[in-house]
Amino acid sequence: MSPVAHGTVDPQGGPGSVEPPILRLAGVSKHFGGVRALHEVDLELRTGEVVALVGDNGAGKSTLVKIIAGVERPDGGEIHVDEQEVKLDTPRAATGVGIHTVYQDLSLCDNLDAVKNLFLGQERTTGWWRGRAVRRGAMEEQAKAVLDSMSVRLRSFTTPVGGLSGGQRQGIAICRALVSDPRIVMLDEPTAALGITQRAEVLDLILRLKEQRRSVLVISHDLKDVQHVADRVVVLRLGTKVAEFSRGRYTSSELVAAITGAHEGVA
Amino acid sequence: MSVSATSRTPLAGRITAAFEDRLRNVPVLIVLGAIWLFFDTRSDAYLSSQNLTNLVLQIVTTAILALGIVFVLLVGEIDLSSAILSGVCATVVANYAVTSGWNLYAALAVGVLLGMVAMLVQALIIVFGVPSLIVTLGGMVVFQGLLLVVLPPEFTVNVGGTDYAKIASEHLPTSLSFVLAVLILIAYAGSRWRDIIGSRSDRTWALVSIGVIGVAVLGGVTVLTRGNGLPFPVLILGVMLIVASYATTSTRYGVHLYAVGGDRDAAQRAGIPVYRMVLYSFLILGACAAIAGVVDASRQLAVSNSSGGGPLMLNAIAAAVVGGTSLFGGRGSVWSALLGALVIGSINNGVQLLGYSPEVQFFATGGVLVVAVAMDVVITRGSLWPRRA
Repeated sequence: MSPVAHGTVDPQGGPGSVEPPILRLAGVSKHFGGVRALHEVDLELRTGEVVALVGDNGAGKSTLVKIIAGVERPDGGEIHVDEQEVKLDTPRAATGVGIHTVYQDLSLCDNLDAVKNLFLGQERTTGWWRGRAVRRGAMEEQAKAVLDSMSVRLRSFTTPVGGLSGGQRQGIAICRALVSDPRIVMLDEPTAALGITQRAEVLDLILRLKEQRRSVLVISHDLKDVQHVADRVVVLRLGTKVAEFSRGRYTSSELVAAITGAHEGVA
Repeated sequence: MSVSATSRTPLAGRITAAFEDRLRNVPVLIVLGAIWLFFDTRSDAYLSSQNLTNLVLQIVTTAILALGIVFVLLVGEIDLSSAILSGVCATVVANYAVTSGWNLYAALAVGVLLGMVAMLVQALIIVFGVPSLIVTLGGMVVFQGLLLVVLPPEFTVNVGGTDYAKIASEHLPTSLSFVLAVLILIAYAGSRWRDIIGSRSDRTWALVSIGVIGVAVLGGVTVLTRGNGLPFPVLILGVMLIVASYATTSTRYGVHLYAVGGDRDAAQRAGIPVYRMVLYSFLILGACAAIAGVVDASRQLAVSNSSGGGPLMLNAIAAAVVGGTSLFGGRGSVWSALLGALVIGSINNGVQLLGYSPEVQFFATGGVLVVAVAMDVVITRGSLWPRRA
C-alpha cells in the first residue's frame, strides 16, 4: 500500500515547516431551493491526519460529504487537491484524485457478490477487443489480500452480499475504500449502526489508515469516538463552520457547546 | 478462503439464497420438465424431433423479444411497446427490401436502427423521470398508429418468395451445426478454465455446469437438425443469447448492468453512469424488437396490421419473468428469455397438438406466470412466509 513505512523519519521536516494541505476547501456553499445547506465553509486536511466533522442533524455534514465525494456540486467555492483546483463533478472524478468515501448505508449492491462490490466502478478489465471482460482472477486475489489485511472473513466470494451479516457488510464497505489505494478516505457515520466490538474494530481501522499515511475525514455523532481518533475536530452548525479544535486543546463541554450553539446564548 | 463456522444461516435461508444464486434456473427447468412429461403421456408426437423443432421455431420471436425485455427488467424498468415496435420495424424492412427492392442487409440495418431510435426516444423520457410503465404504454399506442402509417393502403406486404422469406426458411447444414456447437462448448469450457484448474469448491460446480450445457447444446442440435439442418431463426437466437450471456456475465458492462438494477444509489456513488446504463438497455431492446419482428414476418411470409399484436407483448414479458428474471431489477439471466419462452411455448404447442379447447392454454399460461412471480417474491425476500406487519 503506502510506500512510507510506519516508524520512519517524521516527514514533517524541521520545526516550523508546515506541510501544504492535501485537501483544501475554500468558501464552499450549497443551496437546495431556498434552503441554505452550506455557507462559505473552509476545511483543510493534511497527509496522515484524521479530521472529524461533527454537528447536529441538519448542520450540513452530509452535504459536505456529498460535495467532496463528487455526488453533489457546490454552488460556490473552490476545492483544491495538492494545491490544484479540481472540479469534483462525478464520483469518478473524486476517485480519480484519490478521494474515497464509505457511506453510512454502506452503498453495497445486495445482488452482487463481495468481489464485484469491492471493485464496483473500478473493475480490473481486459482491453476493448474482449468487450472489457472483467479479470476475475486478479480481482479475487486482490480482494483476498485486502480483506485479510482487515481481518474480514467471508465464507464465499460468490455469495451475494445481501446474504452476509452486518459486520461482514461493514467490512466489505470499508475494504472497498482501500482497493483503489486512496490518499483520502471519508467515513460517513462509520460506527453508527455497530455493536461495541465492531465499533472498536472500526476505530482501529481508522488509526490503521492513519499509520498508512492516508488522510481520514470522519463524520460522526459520537463525541467519544471523535475524541479518541481525531487530530482535529471541525464543528458545523446550520451550514456554517463555527469552531475548530486541535487534539488535547478542548474539553467535551466546549465541543458540545459549539455543536449546540450554547455559548451564543451568553451574548 | 477462510471458513467461518459462526456465520451459519438457517436452512430455509440457505436454500432461498442458493436459488437466488446458482440454482436460479432450476425451478423453471422443473416446471418445463413437468409440462413435457404431462404432454408426453398424452401424445407420442409431442416429444418427436419434428414437433420439438416446430416448438422452437414457434418460440423464437417471443424469445428474442424476451431477451431484450430481460435487459430492461435487469435495470429495474419495464416495457410494453416493443412488440408493436417489432411490427413497425418488420414492415419498414419489408417496404424497403420487397416493395422498393433494396438490398436486404441495408433494409435490415434501417429496421434495426429504427427500433433503436424509437426506444432511445422513450428511454430519454424515462431517464427524464416519467415512469417506464407509462412511457411505454403511451409508446405502444403511438407505435400502433405508426404501424398504420408505414403500411401500404392495402395494410399488408407479402414477402413470400423473396430474400426476406429466406431468413426463416434457410438452414445451416447439419455437419456445420455440430462443428459450431463443439466450438461453442470448447469456448465455454475455456472461459471456465480458471474454475476447473482451481482447487476450490467452484471446480465441481464448473464441471457440472459444463456437462449440463454440453448435453443441452449437443442434444438440442441433434434434435433440431433432424430435418435439413439447423433452422436459421434458431441460429440467430442462439448467437444473440451467447453474445448476451458473455456481455452480462463476463464484462464490466454486465457488472454495471446488475449493479444499476440492484441499487441505483449505490451504483451512482460507485461512479457508474446509471442513466447511460438504462439507455443502453432500451437500445438493446430496440434492436431485439426489430430482429424479432423481421424473423416473425419472415416466418409468416407477410407483414400486416396485426404484426407484433396479439399476445406477443405479454408472452414476452411473461417469458422473461417465468424464466426467472425479477421484475424488481438486478436478478435473473439472459437464459431466462429462452427458458420462459420454452415454458409458455410448450403449453401452447401441447394444447394445440392435443386439440384442447383454447381456454385451457390461457388458464395454464396465466397460472404459470403467477406461480413464477410468487417464487420470485419468495426468493427476493429470502423467506417463504410474509414478514409480520
